[in-house]
Amino acid sequence: MDRVLKRKAKGERPYFFEDPNVDKLVSMIMGLAGETSVLMDRVDTIEQLLEKKGLLKISEIEGYEPSTQVLESRANRREIYLSEILRIIEIELEAESLEDNAPYSSAVKEVEEG
Amino acid sequence: MSENTSVTEQTNHRFLASTNHDEKARQDFVRSYKEYLVKNIHAGNRERYEKTIKPKFEKSQNREPGDRFEVRDLMVKDPYYQMFSSLLRTSQEMMWSSCQIPVEKRFTALNEEIHLSNGESNQGTLKLDENLEVPRYHKAVDIHCQPGGYHSEFGENDASPGMVYDRAVHIYAMGQMGPFNDDMGASIVLWLKENHPDFKPLRILDLGCSVGHSTVPYCKAFKNAEVHAVDVAAPMLRYAHARAQDMEAPIHFSQQNAEKLDFPDGHFDLVVSHILLHETSGKAIQNIISECHRVLRKNGVMIHAETPPYKGMSPFDAFMLDWDTRNNNEPFWSRSHEIDLDNLSKNSGFDLGKKIETLIPSAFQIEKVKRSEVFQGGDFGGGGQWFIYGNWK
Repeated sequence: MDRVLKRKAKGERPYFFEDPNVDKLVSMIMGLAGETSVLMDRVDTIEQLLEKKGLLKISEIEGYEPSTQVLESRANRREIYLSEILRIIEIELEAESLEDNAPYSSAVKEVEEG
Repeated sequence: MSENTSVTEQTNHRFLASTNHDEKARQDFVRSYKEYLVKNIHAGNRERYEKTIKPKFEKSQNREPGDRFEVRDLMVKDPYYQMFSSLLRTSQEMMWSSCQIPVEKRFTALNEEIHLSNGESNQGTLKLDENLEVPRYHKAVDIHCQPGGYHSEFGENDASPGMVYDRAVHIYAMGQMGPFNDDMGASIVLWLKENHPDFKPLRILDLGCSVGHSTVPYCKAFKNAEVHAVDVAAPMLRYAHARAQDMEAPIHFSQQNAEKLDFPDGHFDLVVSHILLHETSGKAIQNIISECHRVLRKNGVMIHAETPPYKGMSPFDAFMLDWDTRNNNEPFWSRSHEIDLDNLSKNSGFDLGKKIETLIPSAFQIEKVKRSEVFQGGDFGGGGQWFIYGNWK
């Protein structure tokens, strides 16, 4: 595909971490999450094979209109998917609310001496 | 796991760039990603601030942080806020990219379809002015991080920024502005009908209309009115005209700067804008209000929809609503939220005894929509209300 449009918005791009590479990693990870390109290729392969074997026409997929129920179950699935990816952020909040903030060395000390 | 997030899909129209299975899935991902941030990640900033950051500051300084700038200095060092911001900025960039892809794929054909349709126009009009200078405040950065902004042209008769924008707004607002992205216009219409039922405007002007999302509701609500809409960006107007025709909304679009309109004095009964003022500048905002005064007839009214000013907000809330200024290419956002609105009106000749300054409910109140009910960066439409500023003449 020809990229005819600009990809960068004019204006300095803010970085939030002291090391901008961390922001870049965030962007890459979310890009990967969004793309799941391996998975999409795999789905495509399955579709191609199914069509070749006469089990499915790919046009049926394009013409498929999901019901409200299917739309909702997809939205739910995506929410679970996101909660898996963003787990590392949320466990910090959980730790804070449970006051689970003792240094690890104190646990080592506790078992060694206990 | 909590209950399902609502799925308000954008209503299709002839010129909405079509997407294949994966292109739609990519856009759906960005929307889910944004919804997830609002629902599960945003609130952590307040928690970090209230439980850890503020108490620490109070202990060392014997007082609370005094304003949003002090809050900012504390928050930007917080790893949670850093990650939140990094994620939110990334979601914005992915949103634009996911909306560009289907447009770029059929770039020439889509532009030709729109050009052809505009040429055969039988309701409303489109008047472009290639000599109009796009103002500096519009070009200083690409607003909202849309690459190329609203004004750049990437080909002949280019309407692609409008195509990209139409789809992106729906994702940006996560459907919270309704299936037509028209909630701001629809909310003002509703407010007028409920509060001023006898006001029946015959000439209406929408300033900074972009693709006309909020213009269309005025056409539908005031069927006898002649509706005009202006913007500085030609690509937006090309798309707006095609879209309005398909929606059977006869609107007269013209490429003009709201600071200096070509309409005669006293021409309009109603002049509106929707999130325009914060995209202008310290000088332009005053010029625009003065133009509103000039083109309004006596007893006409101007109404501008925005997010609420910072005054009266806690320093933390103001800080969170201010996120876009630095992080989403909104250079005038801060200033416009702190500007003296009374002064603007007074300087333009309006009588402050007839001013309007209030929060109005969103017209899009479908039960399924789950809003955060907070005005905060990255959650546009989440407040469930709009701030309107205006004046009767």
